[in-house]
Amino acid sequence: MMPSTHDWINNPLGVVEGMFAASQNNSNSAWEAKVVEFFKDRLKEDGAHTWVPSLNDVPLHYLKPNSLVKFRCLIQDMFDPEFYMGVYETVDLPTQAKVLRCGKYKDVTECGVDFNSRNTVTAERQTFYCVPIPGENPWVKESYASSSQARVVPSTSYVPSRQKRSYEEDDEMDVQPQKQGEQHTGPHSPSEQHSNGDCKRQETEAPSSQTASPSHLNLNFPLPGEKGPSCLVKVYENWDSFKLNDTLEIYGVLSVSPALSALADEKDASSSLLDPTECMETAEEQRVHSPPASLVPRLHMIHAKPLRHNNPLLPSVILEDNSAFLSSTLSKMASVRAELLTYFTHVLLGDALAAEYLILHLISTVYARRDILPLGKFTLNLSGCPAVASYTERLYQIIQQLVPSSYYLGMSLQNMNQMCLVPKKDYVANRLVSGALQLARNTSLFLDETQLEQGQLDTTGVRNVTALGNLISWQKVDYDFNYHQMEFPCNINVLIASEGRSLLPSDCRIHLQPQVAPPHLEEYLSSIVLHPQPSSQLNKFRSYLSVAQLLDYSISDEVTKSVEDDFVDMRKDDPQSISAEDLHRMLVVARLLSLSLGQTSLSIDGWLRAKHIEMLRRSRMEQHKCVNGNEP
Amino acid sequence: MAPKDYEAEKDKCKRFLQEFYTEDDSGKKVFKYGAQLVALAHREQVALFVELDDVAEEDPELVESICENAKRYTGLFADAVHELLPEYKERDIVAKDSLDVYIEHRLMMEQRSRDPADTRDPRNQYPAELMRRFELYFKSPTIAKPKVVRDVRADSIGQLVAVRGIVTRATEVKPMMAVATYTCDQCGAETYQPIQSPSFMPLIMCPSQECVTNKSGGRLYIQTRGSKFVKFQELRIQEHSDQVPVGNIPRSMTVYARGENTRLAQPGDHVAITGVFLPLLRTGFRQAVQGLLSETYLEAHSITLMNKSEDDELGNEELTDEELHNITDEGFYEKLAGSIAPEIYGHEDVKKALLLLLVGGVEQAPRGMKIRGNINICLMGDPGVAKSQLLSYIDRLAPRSQYTTGRGSSGVGLTAAVMRDPLTGEMTLEGGALVLADQGICCIDEFDKMADTDRTAIHEVMEQQTISIAKAGIMTSLNARCSILAAANPAYGRYNPRKSIEQNIQLPAALLSRFDLLWLIQDKPDADADLRLAQHITYVHQHSRQPPTHFTPIDMKLMRRYIALCKKRQPVIPESLADYITAAYVEMRKEARVSKDTTFTSARTLLSILRLATALARLRTVDTVEKEDVNEAMRLMEMSKDSLQADKSSSTRTQRPADVIFSLVRELATEGAAGRGGAGGVVRMAEAEQRCISRGFTPAQFQEALEEYEELNVWQINQARSRITFV
Repeated sequence: MMPSTHDWINNPLGVVEGMFAASQNNSNSAWEAKVVEFFKDRLKEDGAHTWVPSLNDVPLHYLKPNSLVKFRCLIQDMFDPEFYMGVYETVDLPTQAKVLRCGKYKDVTECGVDFNSRNTVTAERQTFYCVPIPGENPWVKESYASSSQARVVPSTSYVPSRQKRSYEEDDEMDVQPQKQGEQHTGPHSPSEQHSNGDCKRQETEAPSSQTASPSHLNLNFPLPGEKGPSCLVKVYENWDSFKLNDTLEIYGVLSVSPALSALADEKDASSSLLDPTECMETAEEQRVHSPPASLVPRLHMIHAKPLRHNNPLLPSVILEDNSAFLSSTLSKMASVRAELLTYFTHVLLGDALAAEYLILHLISTVYARRDILPLGKFTLNLSGCPAVASYTERLYQIIQQLVPSSYYLGMSLQNMNQMCLVPKKDYVANRLVSGALQLARNTSLFLDETQLEQGQLDTTGVRNVTALGNLISWQKVDYDFNYHQMEFPCNINVLIASEGRSLLPSDCRIHLQPQVAPPHLEEYLSSIVLHPQPSSQLNKFRSYLSVAQLLDYSISDEVTKSVEDDFVDMRKDDPQSISAEDLHRMLVVARLLSLSLGQTSLSIDGWLRAKHIEMLRRSRMEQHKCVNGNEP
Repeated sequence: MAPKDYEAEKDKCKRFLQEFYTEDDSGKKVFKYGAQLVALAHREQVALFVELDDVAEEDPELVESICENAKRYTGLFADAVHELLPEYKERDIVAKDSLDVYIEHRLMMEQRSRDPADTRDPRNQYPAELMRRFELYFKSPTIAKPKVVRDVRADSIGQLVAVRGIVTRATEVKPMMAVATYTCDQCGAETYQPIQSPSFMPLIMCPSQECVTNKSGGRLYIQTRGSKFVKFQELRIQEHSDQVPVGNIPRSMTVYARGENTRLAQPGDHVAITGVFLPLLRTGFRQAVQGLLSETYLEAHSITLMNKSEDDELGNEELTDEELHNITDEGFYEKLAGSIAPEIYGHEDVKKALLLLLVGGVEQAPRGMKIRGNINICLMGDPGVAKSQLLSYIDRLAPRSQYTTGRGSSGVGLTAAVMRDPLTGEMTLEGGALVLADQGICCIDEFDKMADTDRTAIHEVMEQQTISIAKAGIMTSLNARCSILAAANPAYGRYNPRKSIEQNIQLPAALLSRFDLLWLIQDKPDADADLRLAQHITYVHQHSRQPPTHFTPIDMKLMRRYIALCKKRQPVIPESLADYITAAYVEMRKEARVSKDTTFTSARTLLSILRLATALARLRTVDTVEKEDVNEAMRLMEMSKDSLQADKSSSTRTQRPADVIFSLVRELATEGAAGRGGAGGVVRMAEAEQRCISRGFTPAQFQEALEEYEELNVWQINQARSRITFV
């Protein structure tokens, strides 16, 4: 009895139950492994994963309950494991017939459960609180949504009465307004496209029907102003392999049963007088751990794919296994790099050296950690940014167009004193309250220091600045667990834009030398914004940056030898000019420079080139030594 | 498998309680549980802890059964105790509270109505729980290792488990009904309802024979005074941070404490809890909606508080001979030092000093005077010489440590602050980093940028090892027996060897002299060292791991255990070495006077040497200090001074006497200008000569300088040679 083509998407539980029933006849059949295998095989089929609707781009009310969906997300919090009945027995009251049933991938049981049955098997599962990848840029969302071929049929309960108002909102907020109102009027139009605006509407609407306090609304997104559904993901197999802040693509059974919300409401309402154990589970905790399913759906994970990158333009298969793709990209990299360099030079007001460094920064990633020392990080401090015409914001907009996820943090005094950057454990609600530094790997964090004004940092401000400093120096964030702190390693590309030298540490600082006279700046900038790159060109850049980040790299022994000799010679000439720190940086620069050209090993030539641009940068630094008082 | 005969098991329990004894020193039998049973019978004791270690001596199988099926055996043991108690009652006791009176009364009633013909309605029988005033708990065997919260899985349900964790939440203690007692408004009969689950359905209709046959429809009313309540508290514990795998969130667990186990722990306490892991039963509608899920909790049997240092020791098994041999073979001192922050290249002497800081010297307390044993070290150096890395490594290596920065610590700061408790509104003391690092190491980065208030407090900490508080009506002195490891940046970006230390890092001498060792980590060129440094760095980048060295760095855990072993030693300085040390100290003083020293050599230096020497002896795990230890201590001292001295290789222009004389005269001139008001630039010759001669210059040198500078046309001398006028 094999299910037909799309049954496994529309009714995955049917497949599970079929296999469970089959396993009852012959004992010791590993039916659970078989289920996972079955779905994995199905998903491997050509383009199969595009048929599965995604929670990221289809609003929740369009999705069929108990169907297979996928969700691209970040693990924000891990709750305690819960025990459930893996196998239970139901009794049909009129006939007294007993049937064994499987409790996996489900939240709600059938009626007539025999709680005292000897056949009940208690099993364990883990709950993760997952949010959409923070800072995911619109182009990524759009690209994923457009490649989806899922056939979504809105459920009949959905009444599109409020569409008009919502679309007006969308038009205001969308960067690239889309006329798609017509598409939604027909409730059965196949293969619809949904922009992220739909998700947002679903979020903004859903709470209005809730009568509860505003804390209901707190979906605990790391970044303020984030949209999209968050999800309680139930994990059945090897949950130890998942870590906090991992990015995953989860395939699982969607569960939005209203009974789940009823449970929460009932608990809220019941007075704690009769039941002394209720006093422990505070109302907040209830709200956090079992929010209404309409707001936070449950997803029973069948299969999860860790995302090494979140770029929809690249094949999802890891690069090593895809040699054809790899060789074709490598050959093109040098030319794309030249184009990108021209573009960045243009954007950075004609400063080619700064453009070079910006490329290096964007493809940097922490590739290894040795005890406490992260290798490969390359925090760039772009000083000398003109404070006019909101230059930094425009620069961010351009970066945003190129990297899969990014976040702009204006370091104004108010932001630093009020924002919650470091995640903190809330013991009352028993959850990890997220902070802006809880980001997925390879997220670009843009710190705008030009926004900083004179004033006093308070306790929170000092803590926030320290956290940023730690992030840059060690690539780790100390999460606040009240009684102790816990270190979470991270991999975030930090770019600091400042007027003078930044107050934060950085691996490398470059002073911008604009070739454009200040009076023409405004005009120049608006011309950049007005004439965006064609999207095919942008896509080229996007793939280029992601590929360069993923490449492997090695240094041969001969090159190592000559680098060592070179270092000793340099020290001999002028010991003050170069320190161990400088060598570290130069090796990183050499690595990134080689990778940016598509070379996967360091050559003598590459090393000399790295030395050369470092020298240019340092000589420029000499000129700007005394810009402000922050210099040592 | 045949079902267990629980009656037989109960007899086993009984026998154990009656017959278990230990022999005391004089060989007399001490009935451990017998004595406690007597106390229970007389209501002098409430909780009876059955130690499973004792049970194991008698019947190892029973222990296994208890661990597997703890709830059942709690009942069996309780029944056994209940049955035994009358035998142990030696005298009549006075009823302590109303429940005692009730129990007594009920017993009398039962005896009076003990009519063989009248079979009593089983529902009206007294439930066993109602008649008991004791509580029975198990203590897990000491050999069983406490589990980590995340290892308590579904398969542990029903078992006795021991977990460790930190209490994150504790509710108030509330009375929880254990047995509800009702009386009937028609027949007056009492009905009892033992309650197991957190909620219960009160009985309404009287089930007594009389009411049922008469169909009188008697209503039941709950009787608070006759019911039994137990103290109930719910705790939430969370895993220790060191038990959490990297990249995971600590797990938590709910603990129910009843009776004597309540009010033992508060949020923030480190606890070890033995208890039965049970599913939580829900009834009625909730069970239906809850559906597939079941919640679990740990029914606490014993709660032990532990401070952090104790619980660290729990993990410290004795070092095996092999491991000891591994550490203590040839060159172990270098090897141990090299294992500190292996990713940081070089700085052998600094690492040695840090190793000694970890081990610590011996504390002396002759006649109430306390001389600290902790070693304080200050690392100074140009930016980017891995000071912070060293600090953060030590912070990780030390079993108890605090890492803070001089500027970053605000609010509570380094010392302590009086805070208002958000819950109770009371004023409470909250310890700062130094207090929290008591018996450990406090790493302070950016020491030079410390707040002024902290700076004054740190004086006391560094010598007296206490912090005195007089704030908001709280006057107290807190222990802060910690070693301080500080890192400071030079005031002008780079260390200027021509200036004194105070000028270089802008800290008062009083504070600096409290550091046993001051290291200046400088970046000096040296072709050979450079090459090795380059090799090291390129290797790390090439292979993303440490280069192979002639030794493999010792594992952090092993280091910790070895250091803990070292700390147990209390080496003494033998009489014979006293003269040697004194002589050496006198020599150092002399040297310091002769050479123009920028550091201090004082009595504190002598104490530092002693501390370092005892730490070295500890490191060798011996009980007496030897001459080599003192020599090495002095060598480290010397090296640390050397690092502060002006760079000898770069030839500094020595000031000629003439230059010094010129500056003296100019000084005099400005003084004069200030004193006389306006008539500046004129110095009387006699005065100037006097000043210079007092500074150790000969009159000939003075005259020479006069002429030299006159030629340069810097000043003019009048005809009478009595006055110098600056041009």
